[in-house]
Amino acid sequence: MRVRARAYGSAVAAAALILAACGGDDGDDTAAEQEPETTEEGDATEEPAGEPSGDPIVIGSTLSLTGAFAPTGVIHQIVGEQFVEQLNANGGLLGRPVEWRLLDDESDTAQITPLYERLINQDQVDLVLGPYATPNIIPAVAVAERAGYVLPHHTAIHAPLLSYGCQFPGWSMDPQPDEYTSRLLFDLLASLPEPPSTIALVTNESGSTQPMTQGFEGGGGMAGIAAEYDLEVVAELPYPPGNQEWSSIATQLRDADPDVVINNGLGVDPVGIIEGMEQLDYRPGLFFSLFPAPGPLLGLGEAAEGALSVSLFEPNEPLLEQYGDEVRAITEDFSQRAEAAGLPYTAFETQATASWNTWEILTRGVEGAGTLENQDVCDYLVENGVETTFNGQLTFDPEVNNFWDSNVGIKQIQDGEWVMVWPEDRAAAEIVPPEN
Amino acid sequence: MSIAQALITGAMLGGMYAMMAVGLSVSWGMLRVINLAHFGLILLGAYGTYQLATSWSINPIVTIVITAPLMFLLGAALQWIYDRTGLTEFTSLLVSFGVLIIIVQLVHNVWTADFRRIDPAVNTYGTKSWFVGSFVFPYPRLIAFVFGVVVIVGAWVLLQRTFVGRALRAFAEDRDMAAAYGIHHRRLGMLLAGASGATAAIAGMLWAMSFTLVPDAPFEWIGIVFAVVILGGIGQVLGTLAAGLLVGALYNLAAVLWEATASLLVVFVAIVLALLLRPEGLFVRRAGSGRRRFWARRGRAGQPESSPEREVTAR
Amino acid sequence: MMRRGLIGFPLVLLALAALAVFQDTLGVSLYYITVLATLFFWVAQATSWNILSGYSGYFSFGQGAFVGVGVYTTAVLTSKHDWNFFLTLPVAAVLSTLLALGIGAVAFRVGAFRGATFALLTLAVPFILASVARLTSAIDGGQGVSVPVPELPEPLGFQQFLYLVMLVIAIVAVAAAYAIQHSRFGWALAAIRDNEDVAEALGVATFRWKMLAIAVTGAIGGVAGSAWALQFGFVQVEVIFGLTVPLLVIVMSVLGGRTYWLGPVLGATVIVLVEDRLAGGGYESWRPIIFGGLLALMVIFAPEGLWAQLRARPLLTGAVGAATLLVVFVAGIGDVLDRIVLTMLVTGVAAFWPLRLLPARLRRSAAAPPTPVADAPASEPASPEPKAEVVDALATDVAVSKSGQDAPLAIECRGLARHYGGVRALDGLDLQIRQGELVGLIGPNGSGKTTLVNLLSGAVRPTRGSIHVAGRDVTRLAPHAINHAGVARTYQIPRPFESMTLHDNVAMAIMFGRKPDSLARARERATEYLAFVGLKQHAASRPADINLHQRQLLEMARALATDPKVLFLDESLAGLNPAEIDNAVEVVRRIHTSGVTIVIVEHLLRVVNLLAERVIVLNRGRLLADGDTQTVMRDPAVVDVYLGKSGRTVPANDAGGEHA
Repeated sequence: MRVRARAYGSAVAAAALILAACGGDDGDDTAAEQEPETTEEGDATEEPAGEPSGDPIVIGSTLSLTGAFAPTGVIHQIVGEQFVEQLNANGGLLGRPVEWRLLDDESDTAQITPLYERLINQDQVDLVLGPYATPNIIPAVAVAERAGYVLPHHTAIHAPLLSYGCQFPGWSMDPQPDEYTSRLLFDLLASLPEPPSTIALVTNESGSTQPMTQGFEGGGGMAGIAAEYDLEVVAELPYPPGNQEWSSIATQLRDADPDVVINNGLGVDPVGIIEGMEQLDYRPGLFFSLFPAPGPLLGLGEAAEGALSVSLFEPNEPLLEQYGDEVRAITEDFSQRAEAAGLPYTAFETQATASWNTWEILTRGVEGAGTLENQDVCDYLVENGVETTFNGQLTFDPEVNNFWDSNVGIKQIQDGEWVMVWPEDRAAAEIVPPEN
Repeated sequence: MSIAQALITGAMLGGMYAMMAVGLSVSWGMLRVINLAHFGLILLGAYGTYQLATSWSINPIVTIVITAPLMFLLGAALQWIYDRTGLTEFTSLLVSFGVLIIIVQLVHNVWTADFRRIDPAVNTYGTKSWFVGSFVFPYPRLIAFVFGVVVIVGAWVLLQRTFVGRALRAFAEDRDMAAAYGIHHRRLGMLLAGASGATAAIAGMLWAMSFTLVPDAPFEWIGIVFAVVILGGIGQVLGTLAAGLLVGALYNLAAVLWEATASLLVVFVAIVLALLLRPEGLFVRRAGSGRRRFWARRGRAGQPESSPEREVTAR
Repeated sequence: MMRRGLIGFPLVLLALAALAVFQDTLGVSLYYITVLATLFFWVAQATSWNILSGYSGYFSFGQGAFVGVGVYTTAVLTSKHDWNFFLTLPVAAVLSTLLALGIGAVAFRVGAFRGATFALLTLAVPFILASVARLTSAIDGGQGVSVPVPELPEPLGFQQFLYLVMLVIAIVAVAAAYAIQHSRFGWALAAIRDNEDVAEALGVATFRWKMLAIAVTGAIGGVAGSAWALQFGFVQVEVIFGLTVPLLVIVMSVLGGRTYWLGPVLGATVIVLVEDRLAGGGYESWRPIIFGGLLALMVIFAPEGLWAQLRARPLLTGAVGAATLLVVFVAGIGDVLDRIVLTMLVTGVAAFWPLRLLPARLRRSAAAPPTPVADAPASEPASPEPKAEVVDALATDVAVSKSGQDAPLAIECRGLARHYGGVRALDGLDLQIRQGELVGLIGPNGSGKTTLVNLLSGAVRPTRGSIHVAGRDVTRLAPHAINHAGVARTYQIPRPFESMTLHDNVAMAIMFGRKPDSLARARERATEYLAFVGLKQHAASRPADINLHQRQLLEMARALATDPKVLFLDESLAGLNPAEIDNAVEVVRRIHTSGVTIVIVEHLLRVVNLLAERVIVLNRGRLLADGDTQTVMRDPAVVDVYLGKSGRTVPANDAGGEHA
């Protein structure tokens, strides 16, 4: 029995590895197409502008499909698939069909460089797109720079760190993100009927959030700028990424009792903080979280009502009317795909918008330049900028590392939904001020 | 925040850690298997609780009626595999690591990588607390603590008082001798592994009640849980509970007195110091202590072992 | 032999370097260069980890700490202080070596830090470092640190540069592992792995060797981490100090084979290449499942590691491997890496495939007899030497004299005591043993005999009192130092080094004993000692293959090989039948005649009567009697203690042969 088990096991192992080896059997041809999981080809809502024909253009990128960043990575995956399908339904790129070669970087920064080298040098993709999350985007930019490829990316907002002239952000919070965000929020606070005077800063000690509190080169950041708005910082509470224990922070918040709790955090940090405060029967007047995962906060129900965050776009009815049918169609399509993929939260919001911007930057840049030569595309983009569906005309100034003037706004949870409330000219509803 | 409150909240958190650690500790100490897949079972238990609570609005605590037996079977099945393939301690570490990776990916495939949280309408404990004077006992923590204590103390009582428990301890000490006395090691091993699995299901339920779920969660747990296991003495059930409470209390205390970022630093430095003082583990009896001392004073011959150090595990 | 082997490494280095430098001309895709650079990193990590943990058995979970130190040293120095990248490499090496020595100083000093507690200690270090880095803004402060690309020497591209740096580090690492394994260092580590206490008692300075091992591990791990920082571009604490590196290096080394220098290389190659193929294969949802399953299967079917599996059937696997390689290259399946992976797995299956399913002829040629771990030619003794010559050859420079009052003191104890809590195992013992004596040490159970032997050999420290060996105070010395002072002992239950042959067991003792020697010469001398106890014909066997009596003889030979002045035989005749006892007595006599002072702890009074001129009796930690054999044996107090008061009617005599 033992003998046969070993033989059987060896055969299974052999079969598995053979499968793996043959699966990677790309040789010199361009890679196998990434089939979108949810819908079939040609499922467009409009008439095709002309069937794309010829050799496919291959766009390569990696995303965190597994690992720590996966909850957001999967959103970008769906958006990408949606965009490519829509593109192909409308005549493709330069008249040719587009294929997206997507690899999983497992949220492992060390894998980014090899994977992008593979895409560029082995699979020889025509164009590349950035991965998800700042620590991953930076090495990808380095690879693109070495190979002379254009790299649009959707979530690195840290302008000072990105000096390659041909990287293009799909999401900008201004060349000085810490200043922009601070003023955005503090302006909003100042506009309230009873402007708050004390704030607490609860900060995730990680590269994307910590500079928002402390500033990039020291000074600046919310801690530094608060004084300008006569805001007193009554508590500064840093915590490590991945922290799950919020009781001590919640207690200190309760004791400090600020008018506004500002959580420069990520993912489900705000959920833990709010829950911790609820357990103490404490609710601050206002709660702001910088980069939360949007769904889980809504899941908190009443406790999270009134919470604020930043946003590029929210699918609120007034905004959809303002933007038009095309945008509406996009958001609905996304929601369907997200539901089919089993995601609990299916709204097309900031992350998806950033992703959409990025794809548009790349494809419209190519269309505009009329060629796949990366240098020409780069030059075109820098010279002409690009028109995007969600963010209007973007201009790229190499002096500020191509970071366009941000129009990021602020959203608020109202009746269990995220609603854009600031700035007033792009708001879907008025902000609900804190109860007294 | 008063130090007393910090200690209380921390100790309750420690109850959760102890709950996660006890199954691992027992398999390691008694079955000589370092079962990393235990974390996979906790994960499955957590997602199981989430799913039952979400699809059928079952109270999370009640879900263990379903998840615990399931994890019992899975734990026993895994032990059967480890046994048939004749693994040593270290090879079991690697094989169970492979199993853990598989479980994490399966969870990922079924429930996607996105965050999952039990609806507060179903999980009514999430945001409530029990207030006693100026002290706060958040319900999820309190429940975790109570479960931890009850299950672990119960396990200890079972191991000390029942025949099965004694058989397990004999089996842990000397497998061959126990076999000579008719103790069927395979069945006993599966029973023990199954029980570990059941505790994993409970730990998973406690986790799902208190936190947001992601498939990758096990890799966050490994560090602290291993620390609790080794600190408490491998295979020592009560020691694991004590170690868990200690680690939790220390973790919280550090967050309050210093800052949250420093918690892990303090905990692990404390662990290093503790190991320096008591290298066998904090709660392990040294050879030549206790009972031996008692008899020696009464003149009974009892040659103590020639070296006082007790090797916790063979290399 | 080692020198010949080491020459191979620079050659390999040059060949592989050429691959990158002439990458264009050779038509090697830049991507392969990238994959190989990653492979070299993991080879360096796994190999360096293995030097401590595989060779010595101290499983460390802290490899991530060394890598982290390396990464952050380079990152901080290059980006915050504008250092040249190459200068950061030695700094990283120094820092991680210091860290390693620090860990070692703490962990190895305390004897009980073994197994799990050592693992926990090393697991704690990365967590501590991570927190420190996060809390200190000069290092990271939570913001992360970017790593600028260094000035690249023309005409190298970035990937080629990284490849070359990693290549050099990897070659150095593997060469070091090779050199260590074939040197005294490696033997010391192997002995520590098998049985540290015994090794220490045989003269191996275990602390020193372990410190050296962990220092090497730290240095290589740190430097490799330093170079790896370039791969990241942007480093963050949680990414660098995570569990990935520690777990993967363990997987690679154990998979490949822990006791052999090539093992980690094999393991790293398999894992990195398989992962690479899976990554490009488009199996996102299945990739970790396939990987986890493969890992589990490989470990189950090759618990000793792939290398041992391949080693067991070199012909079969070699043939299959070559054939597969030919087939896949001719058929042009996939690309180069696919073919390599395919060949590896088919060879692997051939290695695991149970022999019973093969036809008989293939079976015989396939399996080779198990070879010893390190390849060194066994020395050829010319002919079995007659006893008299052996005795002469082994005569020590100590004058052999019958027990006379003028013989110098071999052992002197004053007020020696050992307490275990409230138990007084030994309670104030004064003892003198002169050179050339053959003393019996007897006493009922619990009287303190084994404690005394443990004290005198250094396994245990006395609570009070002093010990002098040949006039030298050895009370506070480490066991190996006491061994070098001239004390050797055997163990009640024989504790040979199971992974070594009998020959090597004895050679070990010579290599590290009082008159240390090189491996080759030690092996020659070992043959003589084996012949002395009558075990020469079993020299190539493993301890597992011989019986109890032979194992006890091995113990004696091994202890003898350290060239002691005093030899303690701790119940070396337990469990033997009468014929074996007679043989053993003969051997002991021979040892005594060759000039070694012997103290024999025994329960067999017959044997004590036969051998010892003087007998020491202990009872309850105190000296009960001390004198010539006949007198002591008839002492009523002694008889009392052994047989009880009623025993007084039965005279103790030789013919009885009673056990106590």
